[in-house]
Amino acid sequence: MKKAMDIAQKNLAIMLLIIAAILFGVTTKNFFSVTNILNIFNQNAYLIIAACGIALIMIGGDLDMSVGYHMSICGVLCAMMLTRTTIPVWVIVLLTIIISVGISMITTFLTELLGIPRIFVTIGESTLFQGVAYVLTNSKTVSDLPVSFKQIAQGTVGHPSLTYATLLMALIVIIMSFVLSKTYFERWVFAMGGNITSARLAGIRVRKMKYSIGVIVGLALGIASVILIGRTGAAAANTAAGTEINILTGILLGGVSIRGGEGKISNCVAGILLIALIGNGMQLAGWNPYYQYIAKGGIMLGVLGFDMFQMRRRSIMNNQRKEEA
Amino acid sequence: MEPILEVRNITKRYPGVVALDDVSLSFEKGEIHAIMGENGAGKSTLIKIIAGAEAPTQGSIEIGGASYPRMHPMDAKKAGISVIYQEFNLIPSMSVAENLFIGEKVGKSRYLPDFKEMYKRAADFLSELGSNIKPETLVFELSTSQKQLVEIAKAMVQNCKVLIMDEPSAAISVAEVDNMLRIVRELKEKGVTIIYISHRIDEVFGLCDRISILRDGKYVTTGFLKDMTRKDLIRHMVGRELSETYPHTRGEGKELVLSTEDLSGNGDFHIDMNLRAGEILGVAGLVGAGRTELAKMLCGDVRPLSGNIYVKGTKKNFKTVSDALDSGIGLIPEDRKGEGLFMDYSVDWNIPSMCFKRLAKWGIVKQKDAEALTDEYVKALRIKTPSTRQVVRLLSGGNQQKVVVARALAYRADILIFDEPTRGIDVGTKQEIYKLMDALASDGKAIIMITSDMEELLGMSDRIIVLYEGRKTGELLRSEFNQDAVLSYASGYTGD
Repeated sequence: MKKAMDIAQKNLAIMLLIIAAILFGVTTKNFFSVTNILNIFNQNAYLIIAACGIALIMIGGDLDMSVGYHMSICGVLCAMMLTRTTIPVWVIVLLTIIISVGISMITTFLTELLGIPRIFVTIGESTLFQGVAYVLTNSKTVSDLPVSFKQIAQGTVGHPSLTYATLLMALIVIIMSFVLSKTYFERWVFAMGGNITSARLAGIRVRKMKYSIGVIVGLALGIASVILIGRTGAAAANTAAGTEINILTGILLGGVSIRGGEGKISNCVAGILLIALIGNGMQLAGWNPYYQYIAKGGIMLGVLGFDMFQMRRRSIMNNQRKEEA
Repeated sequence: MEPILEVRNITKRYPGVVALDDVSLSFEKGEIHAIMGENGAGKSTLIKIIAGAEAPTQGSIEIGGASYPRMHPMDAKKAGISVIYQEFNLIPSMSVAENLFIGEKVGKSRYLPDFKEMYKRAADFLSELGSNIKPETLVFELSTSQKQLVEIAKAMVQNCKVLIMDEPSAAISVAEVDNMLRIVRELKEKGVTIIYISHRIDEVFGLCDRISILRDGKYVTTGFLKDMTRKDLIRHMVGRELSETYPHTRGEGKELVLSTEDLSGNGDFHIDMNLRAGEILGVAGLVGAGRTELAKMLCGDVRPLSGNIYVKGTKKNFKTVSDALDSGIGLIPEDRKGEGLFMDYSVDWNIPSMCFKRLAKWGIVKQKDAEALTDEYVKALRIKTPSTRQVVRLLSGGNQQKVVVARALAYRADILIFDEPTRGIDVGTKQEIYKLMDALASDGKAIIMITSDMEELLGMSDRIIVLYEGRKTGELLRSEFNQDAVLSYASGYTGD
């Protein structure tokens, strides 16, 4: 029983993903077609790329709630540069990513300066960013992005649904899985998530680490916003609004603890895909799209409950288990 | 005499563990009844069951003529049971008086308390305990011992008949302990039954009438302390004979490895000290005397305001903990769970946790090397663990402490600062920690030991420095060691 629980917890997302896939595969036509599956990847590439950064923050014991409008600002600025200036596309992409890293650095700086958890800083920032995004666009959608830019996300190789976005996502997932599996950087992130004071007293330069994580998150969100507006071909202030909830739910589903110090990228990807799949399946089954919110919210609460249950189980063991040697 | 509180055949099972196994105890009116046992003996579970915070799997609690198979916290309160846990149950942002009368009706109104009346009555309760705490003070402004006093007063307000105190002397200074013990004796005179949980054998002998001992969740014995010897007590607790001795196989201190000159900062002022390889330097002082602050400056966690630190003759300016580590200074922190270990990670994660970067090639940690390092120190320090994959949380306190030491040694630290090395470690394992410290010193490591345990201080140190309010008030060589000298330096006497 205990072993089954452990396996279930470690690979919850992957197991549920398989169950959901089978369920939708049986009930809906065309679900298992190569095109549909590649489309799911294509539609969610930006979420998975962003999640690779956010997972790092969460494993390190922090939370970020400003993802959505952070990405919106990047997307809006990128679209405005594309439509109103003559700067070469590749330079604009680079600038967008640099802006994203800059925003992420500001977040980290504020967290350190104010000495409060990142979750609160980012809740405040989120509203602030929302305002900035609307001011920048004057609440209008910036569309008619150049084809050469849209190719970055939409261009395909081999199969008409296998996009550059999907390939880029795969590359980033592979890199992050590697970074989060064997390196000393990974050990340090887990140390911070496990116990930040112990980490500091173990000689880990916690502050420096937070900025390093900030850079990676900035890169991930910058790339994600380029992919997002490249795919949709337009940017508005609310382009990525609410993304943080999708990502948070997916990552929690992927076995990352809300308290940090646990998690694997592969499971996070499965978590995000599961959320996407549920949306996609419900859509194919012809459900009212608003039911998706109910499903996502319910899943998030369920996963949080499971996480707390795990913690309680552990603290009982802590009180009661004795030396086994 | 009629017992006031009885615990009958209590069994408490948690998934996979029996925390209490058919335990029966009875407590008489107006006695101070000690409960002792090693960590994991079931003391905490027993208190929680008596207080109604946990339900027993089997058995019942008898109080005031009623029998409760499952006591609700309100039942316990009505029956006059109060518990003072180690973590106090006070609301920091509220005043002392409000805390005292929380949940009580004060004055005539049904909805609004009469604050004037409340402050007056609070002042009465406090002065009765011989305290000059002002009722309007906010609780977060109080010291630990004052908070404890407020907890005692709160129990008085609730007209408690049975007061359970969980390790009340663990976090307060010697003088404060004396005051607390005086109050406990006064309560006894008033007919209150006190259930006193403590690890400190001397204190229990000096204070309590009877003692009950638990071991591994089972009841061992109850008896009058006047009929018992220290040896009996320890034997009952650990289930074997044990002599508390302090190993001393090391020779004289060798070359100077660490010294400070006029070191000041964060509560410490102008501290000069020297540390030699192969010796154990005891640092004494009351809680708040600046001992931990000194340790934090030496290990690079806090930057000194002025003064110098010299390691092996070179002046050092530590910006972070890793700078200090690079000079060979490792801290074994006071709160090993909160500041030392990664509780949910394995032994073979924790032991190399200071040296991941050193163990890495091209950024990738060489797992084989990390495991070899772990095995080396598990063997050298005789850490008892079923496997190196075991999560540290599941080790005993003593073995957890060894893991923290192993971590610093794995970094090749040769100046070790032990802050309260045996706090919360049971009698049986203390010996092992002492042996380990002695062996490390014999091996040429320099050790600074900060401790509040007088016996340990006098037994283990080669030299002692005493701090008082951030200043060094005295230094004693082993030939000059005596308890009175340490205590008088610790209370500010400088010898003139």
